[in-house]
Amino acid sequence: MDIKAVFKKIAKKKQYYFLLLPTFVLLITFNYYPAFSALYHSLFEWNGVNLSKFIGLKNFVEMMRDPTIRISLGNVARLTTTNLLINLTFPLFAAELIYHLKNSKFAYSYRVLCVIPMVVPAMVIIMIWRFIYNPTRGLLNQLFKVAGLGYLARPWLGDFDLALYAVIFVGFPWISGFSTLIYLAGLQNIPVSITEAATIDGTTAITRFLKIELPLITAQIKLIVILTLIGAIQGFVNIMVMTNGGPGEATMVPGLHLYRNAMYYNRMGYACAIGTAIFIVILILTYLNLRYLKSSVEYEGG
Amino acid sequence: MRRNINPDLPIHIILIILIILTFYPFIFTVITSFKSSPQFTHNFWGITYPLHLSNYKDAWSRIRRYILNSIIVTIASVVGVLTIASISAFIFARFKFPGREFLFLCILSLLMIPGILTLVPAFLLVKSLGLLNTRWALILPYISGGQIFAMFILRSFLASLPEELFEATRVDGASTIQSFIYLAIPLSKPILVTIAIMNILGTWNDYVWPLVTLPDGKLWTITVGIVSFSNQYLGLEMWGPMFAGYVIASIPLIVLFFFTMRYFIAGLASGALKI
Repeated sequence: MDIKAVFKKIAKKKQYYFLLLPTFVLLITFNYYPAFSALYHSLFEWNGVNLSKFIGLKNFVEMMRDPTIRISLGNVARLTTTNLLINLTFPLFAAELIYHLKNSKFAYSYRVLCVIPMVVPAMVIIMIWRFIYNPTRGLLNQLFKVAGLGYLARPWLGDFDLALYAVIFVGFPWISGFSTLIYLAGLQNIPVSITEAATIDGTTAITRFLKIELPLITAQIKLIVILTLIGAIQGFVNIMVMTNGGPGEATMVPGLHLYRNAMYYNRMGYACAIGTAIFIVILILTYLNLRYLKSSVEYEGG
Repeated sequence: MRRNINPDLPIHIILIILIILTFYPFIFTVITSFKSSPQFTHNFWGITYPLHLSNYKDAWSRIRRYILNSIIVTIASVVGVLTIASISAFIFARFKFPGREFLFLCILSLLMIPGILTLVPAFLLVKSLGLLNTRWALILPYISGGQIFAMFILRSFLASLPEELFEATRVDGASTIQSFIYLAIPLSKPILVTIAIMNILGTWNDYVWPLVTLPDGKLWTITVGIVSFSNQYLGLEMWGPMFAGYVIASIPLIVLFFFTMRYFIAGLASGALKI
């Protein structure tokens, strides 16, 4: 191909490139550069200031020996599986209930009620739950006391065995928010002709759910699975402010370990290596999810 | 068969139980926000009188600054995202030029990059640019990151519009910029509102980034501020003002929600998020 002709073509369209300039200047500065820098510096001993020494894969070797990483991996595995189980059941159940209401006005009201907690700042919800678990004044222990079950009261977030599950339990019954809305949108997209045919055939609710509704919302399920995975694997804010990884390292997760290595110990290279590892895990899991979860049956020609 | 029983009744019962469980912590928060310390100790569960409105005054004096910071940063970021993303999405959707598909693919690939990967280098970058402890440390990265998903949604919407519309304006002698301002923007208003809401939620709720880029605390956003004042009140066992602070911190977004509810729910339901 004639390079000159290409340049001529580009020059003719230069106003388009000019208009795209702000987007790319920002993306290169604040997104591409940090991403490549992280991957690159995962191979370095780096403090972000004056020390930047190439050490090959040593950061990754250290990670395999790091006892905190081992604990973190166990915790993140538990967090991810429980979050997946939660997001695939409770919100779907709520969406099914709302979907099957005959009265659409009520359905709309319930949907609005499910959205409202989404606009309460996430940190306010975390703080309220931190109070719920408060050992002396917390709602949960007070509840046990009132119910005459005072012996069940304990410092939930300070308990080695229970702290992680206390963090997982935040937001019970998990029906408000994104997942419920997504499932509901998927269900409401199912053409009436299909559901009517099922009703006439006298299909039971269970069969209808398994054979009609579930296959037709696979796209939504995929989306929720991916978002939950990404959120659970890299997330650490709730842990940071509720337990700060404690007691001991009982609720430590990789994201928090990364944060501490970077911000407390200035070990930027090691932090980048942890970030790279998390990135690779997310990539693999996203790929597997897209590859092996069957897509929705198409019913509208796209 | 009894015909009088509403077949929806069992569903209502289950849903109402779920809704009560969901909302009880918030109701408890509002009730407690009006209590003095003795009222909290002696009547943990119930509503107590007199209502201590002074809790709100106390909390407000501590978190006013953080709320103001959040509002400034959020507005600046959202305006930036909407402006830049809509221009770029318009160019990508309606014009042909060499490298168009490749450049757009480059942008889409960023959706795969998790925030945790870029956290450390982005922090060091902002530090070396001398932006630590300035609002720019938040606004610029928020615009940069927020525009990606915004462009993704907007481009597919703008690309789906019939070419005749744009043809007609061109025949009338409209320039590229005019067809953008008078045709593309008005048509995409509902999507722009949805994008704005999603960005506002993201900005309002971000914790780690403002925490690391604003070490001196003056410009902290409300999400960071909540943790800080909670810890102060927790130490003092001042429960009323603590919960009053939570209520105040929630008000701006709830107000916004009531004005944009239709867009909010419709936007999510439209399937724009379907993979």
